[in-house]
Amino acid sequence: MDPLWSSIFRKKLDEDSLTYFLKHLPIFSELSPRALNLLEQVVHQRNYKDQETIFEEGDPGSGMYMIRSGSVSIYTKDDHGKDYELARLVPGDFFGETTLTAPAPRSASAIAIESTELIGLFRADIIELTERRPGVSCSILLGLTRVVSERLQAASHEIRRLQDQTGQHISAESVET
Amino acid sequence: MTGRPVRYNRSWTRGQVALAFIVLTFAIAGGLAIYSSATSLIGLWRTASSVLFLPLLLSLVLAFLLDPVVTQFEKFFTRTGSIFILYVLLLGFVFLFTLGLTPHWQSFWSDMANDFPRYTSQVTDGLRNLMNALHERFPTLAAYDVPTRFRAWAEQMMAAVLSETPHSAMKVGGLMVVVPLFTFFFLRDGRAIMRACVALTPNRHFEMARDLSHMISRQLSQFVRGRIIEAMIIGVVVTLGLSLTDIRYAPVLGIFAGVTNLIPYIGPIVGMVPGILIAFVDLGVGAQFWWIVILYILIAQVLIDNFILIPILISRVSNLHPLLVFFAIIVGGKLYGVIGMIIGVPIVSVIKIILLEIRTYRRTFRLPESALE
Repeated sequence: MDPLWSSIFRKKLDEDSLTYFLKHLPIFSELSPRALNLLEQVVHQRNYKDQETIFEEGDPGSGMYMIRSGSVSIYTKDDHGKDYELARLVPGDFFGETTLTAPAPRSASAIAIESTELIGLFRADIIELTERRPGVSCSILLGLTRVVSERLQAASHEIRRLQDQTGQHISAESVET
Repeated sequence: MTGRPVRYNRSWTRGQVALAFIVLTFAIAGGLAIYSSATSLIGLWRTASSVLFLPLLLSLVLAFLLDPVVTQFEKFFTRTGSIFILYVLLLGFVFLFTLGLTPHWQSFWSDMANDFPRYTSQVTDGLRNLMNALHERFPTLAAYDVPTRFRAWAEQMMAAVLSETPHSAMKVGGLMVVVPLFTFFFLRDGRAIMRACVALTPNRHFEMARDLSHMISRQLSQFVRGRIIEAMIIGVVVTLGLSLTDIRYAPVLGIFAGVTNLIPYIGPIVGMVPGILIAFVDLGVGAQFWWIVILYILIAQVLIDNFILIPILISRVSNLHPLLVFFAIIVGGKLYGVIGMIIGVPIVSVIKIILLEIRTYRRTFRLPESALE
């Protein structure tokens, strides 16, 4: 096609557009194009410098972050007060999703380890969206619930495996809560 | 340099003195220029803000009021479409209202112009009788000629109202163009404007700013909506109650009672004064007069406002100490006149709500942490 025309009829789902990024996240993969458009208006785009703190353990948590570019280290302090890395996250990963619906202090710290672009989605945005567009908000929350449930199932499997390994018995109640 | 005495080295050469003189002169002149331009900038800012103050405030309040309706429409249409539909509905309503009201309007104003002097002369007579009775008991009071003073004041008021009416009609006309326009944009882009403001906060505090902005705007819209709906209901109740009697100007008195009801403690008292005065002059002390007094005090204030509306519409959180209410009214009146008196108290309540929300937020997140330890 003629380059002039191709630039005029450029596809909306460009690879570097925010919609494209959101659509390829597992949480939002089942959203309709219209819902994606609304979601794009609701999320916040934030840029972090190398070594910039995103949040610290104990901070009031109110939402989740998705990594668009760069990388993030999740760490906590061990008994001796030394930093102990729990995970290193790359583009497409997300973190902090447990505080999206239930307000709680952050359970670990997060720091950008290179220049990083994050997409934030916060509880206030979800609440406002629920009032305006209950349907869209519902499909977003369904996706989130699916991913969180998968993670929870994986975690319970892991606990069971560790139980079998060590032979220790953890009561079923404490696993489920 | 080496051969010269040390003392000579320390003092300045003529060129340096000249340079220092020039630099200092320019510095002082520049400082003065910046200062004067700054004061003129502040003057400009003050003029601009005084022009924008009332329309901005009105359209913000209107936007707070209409936002829930637009949100309801938004489930079926786009946001801009919903605002347009709402505007068309409102316009039709206002059109029908004025169409029904226009014939009465003219006679209403001429009645008012005739009646006001009558009311003032009646009150002046009443005051004179009262003063005569007082003079017989306390002769020293003869020096104070209260009735004459009252009449002079009332005539001044009337003249001011009559001469200001065309002027304020111009102003109201301007407001009727500007306020719907501003309201439209606040309704359509209010969320985007808030987002842009919140986006300015640094990364470290962004999350907190987002949460706080959400909680504060929710509380604020509840407060503004509650206050306005309360004033409207009081206005309607007073109007209905008054139109059961033979009193004139029932709608105007009702509107006045509703507007003054926005001010706590003092407002209701100010709001009932004209109604009771007119009832006293026109109807005399009789069954209807006492019905009007009961309507103002017992029905409107105690029963409807205190027992029904305030518990439902307004959270106790925004209650202000009476002393703070007086401060707000006095300072508001000093800054912006009558409008300042009406909005002073809500603005102080708004500041209180913001501070309280910040405190609740900090407390909410401190509790689980201390529970963990």
